[in-house]
Amino acid sequence: MSGVVGARRADARGWGPLLRGLLLRLAGAVFVLWAAATLTFFGLRLIPGDPAQALLGGPGSQASAEALAQVRAENGLDQPLILQYLAQLGRLATGDLGTSYAQKNSVLSIIGSQIGGTLLLAVLALAVAWLIALGLALWATRGGRIAAAVGSGLEIVAAAVPHFWLALVLVLIFSTTLRWLPAVSTSGPAGLVLPVLTLAIPLAGFLGQVIRESVLDALAAPFTLSARARGETENGIRWRHVLRHGALPGIALSGWAFGWLISGAVVVETVFARPGLGRTLLNAVQLRDVPLVVGVVLVVALGYVLVTVLTDGASRLADPRERAA
Amino acid sequence: MSVLPEGSVAAGWSGAAGSAGSSGPVGSAGSVAGRGSRRGRRLGLGVGQWVSLGFLLSLVLAAVWPGLLAPGDPLAIDPRAAFVPPGWGHPFGTDESGRDIYTRVVHGAAPSLVIGVAATAIGVGLALVLGMLAALAGRIVDFAVSRLLEVLFAFPGLLLALLVITVYGPGVVTSTVAVGLATAPGYARIIRSQTLSVAASPYIEAAVVLGKSRGRILARHILPNALVPVFVLVTLGVGQAIVWAAALSYLGLGAEPPAPEWGAMLFAGKNYVTSAWWMTFFPGLVIVLAAAATTVLGRALQKRGVR
Amino acid sequence: MPLRHRSSLLVLAAATTASALLLAGCTADGAGTSGGGSAPSTPVAGGTLTYATGFGEPTCLDPHVGGNMPQALLGTNVLESLFSQDAEGAIVPWLATGATPSADGLSWDVALRDDVSFTDGTPFDAAAVAANVAHMKDPATESSTAILALGKVTSVEVVDPTTARFVLTEPDSALLESLAQTWLAMESPAGLARGMEANCEDPIGTGPFVVDSWTKQDNVTLSRNDSYNSSPAGAAHEGPAYLSTIVWRFIPDPATRFAALQSGQVDVIDEMQPDNVVTAQDAAASGGQLGVLTGALPGASIRLELNSGYAPFDDERVRKAFIASADVNPGIESLFFGTVDRSYSVLSSSTPFGASFEDDYAIDTDRANQLLDEAGWTGRDSEGYRTKDGARLTVDFPISTNQSIPAEQSLFEQIQATTKDVGFDVELHPLDLSSWYASLAAWDFGVTSAIYTKNSPDVLRILYDSANIIPAPSGYHPNHSHVSIPELDALLTTAGETNDQAERADAYQKAQKILADGAYVLPLYDHLQKIGYSTRVQGLSLLPTLQLPYLADSWVQQ
Repeated sequence: MSGVVGARRADARGWGPLLRGLLLRLAGAVFVLWAAATLTFFGLRLIPGDPAQALLGGPGSQASAEALAQVRAENGLDQPLILQYLAQLGRLATGDLGTSYAQKNSVLSIIGSQIGGTLLLAVLALAVAWLIALGLALWATRGGRIAAAVGSGLEIVAAAVPHFWLALVLVLIFSTTLRWLPAVSTSGPAGLVLPVLTLAIPLAGFLGQVIRESVLDALAAPFTLSARARGETENGIRWRHVLRHGALPGIALSGWAFGWLISGAVVVETVFARPGLGRTLLNAVQLRDVPLVVGVVLVVALGYVLVTVLTDGASRLADPRERAA
Repeated sequence: MSVLPEGSVAAGWSGAAGSAGSSGPVGSAGSVAGRGSRRGRRLGLGVGQWVSLGFLLSLVLAAVWPGLLAPGDPLAIDPRAAFVPPGWGHPFGTDESGRDIYTRVVHGAAPSLVIGVAATAIGVGLALVLGMLAALAGRIVDFAVSRLLEVLFAFPGLLLALLVITVYGPGVVTSTVAVGLATAPGYARIIRSQTLSVAASPYIEAAVVLGKSRGRILARHILPNALVPVFVLVTLGVGQAIVWAAALSYLGLGAEPPAPEWGAMLFAGKNYVTSAWWMTFFPGLVIVLAAAATTVLGRALQKRGVR
Repeated sequence: MPLRHRSSLLVLAAATTASALLLAGCTADGAGTSGGGSAPSTPVAGGTLTYATGFGEPTCLDPHVGGNMPQALLGTNVLESLFSQDAEGAIVPWLATGATPSADGLSWDVALRDDVSFTDGTPFDAAAVAANVAHMKDPATESSTAILALGKVTSVEVVDPTTARFVLTEPDSALLESLAQTWLAMESPAGLARGMEANCEDPIGTGPFVVDSWTKQDNVTLSRNDSYNSSPAGAAHEGPAYLSTIVWRFIPDPATRFAALQSGQVDVIDEMQPDNVVTAQDAAASGGQLGVLTGALPGASIRLELNSGYAPFDDERVRKAFIASADVNPGIESLFFGTVDRSYSVLSSSTPFGASFEDDYAIDTDRANQLLDEAGWTGRDSEGYRTKDGARLTVDFPISTNQSIPAEQSLFEQIQATTKDVGFDVELHPLDLSSWYASLAAWDFGVTSAIYTKNSPDVLRILYDSANIIPAPSGYHPNHSHVSIPELDALLTTAGETNDQAERADAYQKAQKILADGAYVLPLYDHLQKIGYSTRVQGLSLLPTLQLPYLADSWVQQ
């Protein structure tokens, strides 16, 4: 079921079905992008506030009637909504994301300048979350009942911590009180520590719970027993079999984690004053900067599609049953 | 009925966090049997589960009858007693307008829990319809619903919430609906795969072979079996819904002031985090504890599961 | 008009009396002023200063485009105007050397300095002034603030290279004050000719710093203009700035901003929260490393505008009952930690001709109850709110979360609580900027708080002249109180036209009395510019025109 199109795995025999699956997946991806753009476009136009004002110095501007009329005409805002929608769709189809109303700059270049920070943050947070979660899961499944209880407690609390609150607490401890780490992002790696931890800790809680469950499953599974019977070392078993099996639901969860991280980035980028897509999105929605919001949504949707493909691939690599199929 | 839930609920759990649980029934089915029997031996509640249950019950009490735990008025201001640190008169301190934070946390249980429960109910309710449709109404409907879910998934949950709130204005109702909508696709996928696996199970085949009617099979066999894990999902989801609603309040998009909603209290307190830590600490703590306690209980239910 | 994100149109003359250039250390330890503080005050050239602003990131650095506070803040250190104001608010020359009106007042000859060049080498001359005015008035520039300030100017003629003639449609006594604003600053004509996109990235002026680079959502880097020679009157030194680099950062969260200052990551922050001001002042008092610089922004005070055009505030008795029950003093004391004083004037303390009417704003709940009874709001519903013909006495209060700082929003909650005692149901609606303006435009509110910064008491005409009830095409109407009184209109027109100071004072006094008597406005306190800085920074000051930080005289101790 995984994957954008959810082509049923059982069908996958021979090249024909494979090609069909690929095409279906591609069509699914295009559909997702189209629907995301459409929903966003109409969603934004329902919001009170005039895009022509976003063009003229933002809300509350005292732009003259002729200036408003001019920008409306220039941007086709005087056309019926459906025509505006079709025009935008046409531009999007040719890869033209348009120009930001507020920033007077091409949406593509704005996103290009912002995406790096968010990706870095998200990738690091995901990596750190995996490290914490795997470490905790391995420790908790090995150390007896107390370790299991502590590990489980830590995971549950971590998953329950709202990241915005965690950010405040971390800043209070590490910046204001201890002064070890900067409170706002800096060019150096030190500025990344708190934002990454803020996103990684709750995520590690989610991942940890899932991973630990399946590590436990794997430890009790027949293949582990037979590996033991074959005389493999406990460590070897853990690394070769158990971890791989334990990682599976975590990998599946990573697709979801992508969306979660993007939502979290809105908060974290604001608190830590980091440049990034999350902050861009929040500002753009508030300014009714339609082209920019649609652009960011498309990029995020595309990211989601890619991550889904990647996690599918990773699942196949990690799961012998899937490879056999 | 011991066949299904263990594995699928594990997938279901991740869904509570809004996940796809996209490993699906097949992915985890292989291990179900072993784990089920191992867990099956311990049915009693552990210490952590008793504590969680106690905490949640006191929250419910606070929600139903706040005056019992905190007789004061959560909205009563007293500017001369602003920013009082925790102490005898004010166990959790006071906020910037001199309101008692303990009283507000207690009185905030109702709105916060209602948001959590209602948002989850919206999410799960929507998901139930979509998931069942996808699983049972044939390939075309399945394809359509699955695509719809893909689209909703591709939206960052927060953006969806942001759009709903900017269209309909901030407030408890809109943020509840927004959180419900944002979590629905995760639940829907789980319910779909759950229903599919139930429908494909031997006892349903048996029922078909025995010639029972479609409606009867749906009502007597599929629905109950698909719903049991949903109940677990709800317990798990409520905590996360509270956290998400708090996040919206934190962005200034949730409950309108001066409502004593926990997220809104955090929002008001964040500006005083250096000078009055208690304004953020206590509401934050309650959110964490509430979410953690629902998770603990949800997982306990899940383990006892359905047998 | 807007201040935090807001295009503020200021205009006019007269005066900022509070902290002035070089007199800036009016609070805290004064270490931020030139020569103040405990450290040796010999300026050091070189070094980098990091400034963190909470006013937001401009979407375009050219203040001609749109025209809001974030642009003016940054622009103050890059661009310069024809005129400036001294500590008393009097107009003084800057890039201009003087100005002479024609007898009929329909043209002004502005004499210009002949020794100034833009940082791209283009000479500053009358042709440049003409190009700038044409640029601001061009609809394609999408100006909001400047175009309005130049409403009476038709064009600028080049008389000779050092004389620019402003041609007007009618006399405009506020012209020079308008031209003193950063939103009407002079930019290189060659720079303007590059087109909007390039000019938004890097406006070219004559100022002490030039824009080096702009990393969106992170920072703008400014570097020193080594050939700078046009310091404003009152500057501590002539010639190039001391700092070699300014890193201008955007940190929206106030708690984070202050944490960054405390941890030494940034040197100067603006939009300080009141409790942080106290923390910094306490730190300074005990030999700490922080200082605070404040100045009252000119224009209207922070105040509540009661919408007198619609129910329930179309009834003067209901307005008076509201004001008599809105007990704000205890809240102002506790929420602002003594950093602001209660105001009883519609005008900011830094704006001349302000009149205080403390008695009109006295708290008297008995009187409030009596007034509401008289007005027919005699019923009470189960929640204790007053009703009339079954309808509840509800007052919608849209709050701009961009404009109203958190302490202010808490104060509004306290107003809600105290007016509830007499039966008002005040409903607070925190809104983002676009939604907030939309609800104002639709007159969909009972009371609201809006900021309007302008360097003149003429702000009263913008806010309370009946002509400004009629919305601009964008839907914006500055007269939120919906005040429509012919006598008031006449007084404000007189005050705006006459040059007789006694006559002006009298007219403004009478006008403000009308507003106070009619209970249209509830003044709260001055809008303060609160700058926090590390004592590593020396020579920090505010440029009087808009009370914005001026960094050419600043240096950092290494």
